[in-house]
Amino acid sequence: MQLKRVVISGVGSVSPLGLDVASLLAAIENKQSAVKRMPGWERYRGLRSLVAAPAELANEKEIPRQSRRSMGRMSIFSVQASKQALADSGISESLISSGRMGCIIGSTMGGAESISEAFEIMLPERDLSQLTSMKFFQCLSHTAAMNVAQYLGIKGCVLATSAACASALQAIGAGYDLIRLGKQDAILCGGAEELHPIVTGSFDIIFATSSSYNDNPSKTPRPFDVSRDGLVCGEGAGIVFLEERELALKRGAKIYAEIIGYNTCGSGVHISQSSASAMRQCISEALKSANIKPTDVDYINAHATATIQGDQEEAQAIRNIFGDDVPVSSLKGYFGHTLGASGAIELIVSLAMMQKGQIYPTFNLEKVGDDCRGIFHVQEKLNRDISILVKNCFAFGGINAALVCRKE
Amino acid sequence: MAQKEIIKMTNEVFEEAFEIESQKLTPEANIFNDLGLDSLDVVDLVVALQKKFGVQIRNDERVRNIRTLGDIYGFIDALGEENKLSLPREN
Repeated sequence: MQLKRVVISGVGSVSPLGLDVASLLAAIENKQSAVKRMPGWERYRGLRSLVAAPAELANEKEIPRQSRRSMGRMSIFSVQASKQALADSGISESLISSGRMGCIIGSTMGGAESISEAFEIMLPERDLSQLTSMKFFQCLSHTAAMNVAQYLGIKGCVLATSAACASALQAIGAGYDLIRLGKQDAILCGGAEELHPIVTGSFDIIFATSSSYNDNPSKTPRPFDVSRDGLVCGEGAGIVFLEERELALKRGAKIYAEIIGYNTCGSGVHISQSSASAMRQCISEALKSANIKPTDVDYINAHATATIQGDQEEAQAIRNIFGDDVPVSSLKGYFGHTLGASGAIELIVSLAMMQKGQIYPTFNLEKVGDDCRGIFHVQEKLNRDISILVKNCFAFGGINAALVCRKE
Repeated sequence: MAQKEIIKMTNEVFEEAFEIESQKLTPEANIFNDLGLDSLDVVDLVVALQKKFGVQIRNDERVRNIRTLGDIYGFIDALGEENKLSLPREN
């Protein structure tokens, strides 16, 4: 069976650095940090990390109430990013509800704000009578995918990948496979996440968050840096429009890149600790599936969240495969770790780097940690033709994902 | 509770929870056909009315017969007659 080829022909995002892709890229160009000290977070006893990268919720009333009622923040972000991606792709309306177009959007969990509110309403008196029906739809693990599909009238495959920080990349990988197999012609793929103290708190209690920069928020997170002290949670949605290549060429679509390889795998080692060997295996398999050698890769967009152990393991995995030949940068210093959305938002920025022939440096990487040396860290903007890029995502649960894209 | 107050507070529920313009809120307005609510909205309408009037009506069979805004005014009025309304809450 001849597998189809898959391209990315539309992008959209709502991120801590703006309501669309253009504002996100402009902010990165201007070396802006979206990290802030969060007002009111001091009241959470035991929460050490008081910084985060919030996204702005805006223009939500453009979504009619009947559709919006089941949406928490992350679903609204997802709808907005999806609409941008569709508009950017320029596809005809008729494809959307043809059954040949799908929607795969992942997230770590359902809407964190709604989950928290539901418990706050229910638990004090063990009373369910004040719970609205819509809370349930906002709390579901597939709330973003479901809401986007309902709002847009998508009748093809609707899926929600849930693999924490690898959710978006798994969504894109799943979409890639479905189109390759000929099961769908096009799919909106990506991820979403919602910021909340319970989200930051879940990382905080295992000491994975940044807590030394509460009074100097723009200085954190610091991927690969000697003074890194953990991740900073963000929120938003990133959506890419995947399309069967022949269809995209036929309609003269603007093509960002072709997806030529993908792999996802478990580490089978530890529930939270990253494993360099599992990461290396994941990236190697992705390169193998793309039928390319490490020397063919021009840029690696690292997962690098700025945790002590995660960055060290990722640097080791990259060093083992690529040595110090291939430029590497992480985008989390600019807008934090958008968790389930990160794979898609960071891929979108990476595609922009590919278009421009410019690599954005790792923000806040001032002095490379000894444990992260031996790879080609980009610390200043670098002019470089990018023909092939690799996007990494590594998640709690030992779940790894890597995607390989080639310039069309 | 005065009928006028019941109408005012009920209409506030429709404006706040369902974003319906005040000019549409007439006693004869059908909550499904004219105001666009569906069965899930009715679940949330019950929650909002409970909160507004400090009353428990989730299991009250009369909710099933509500069709118009006027039906709701009458239902709340009847609850008042039955001394089931507590003091209205701020929100």
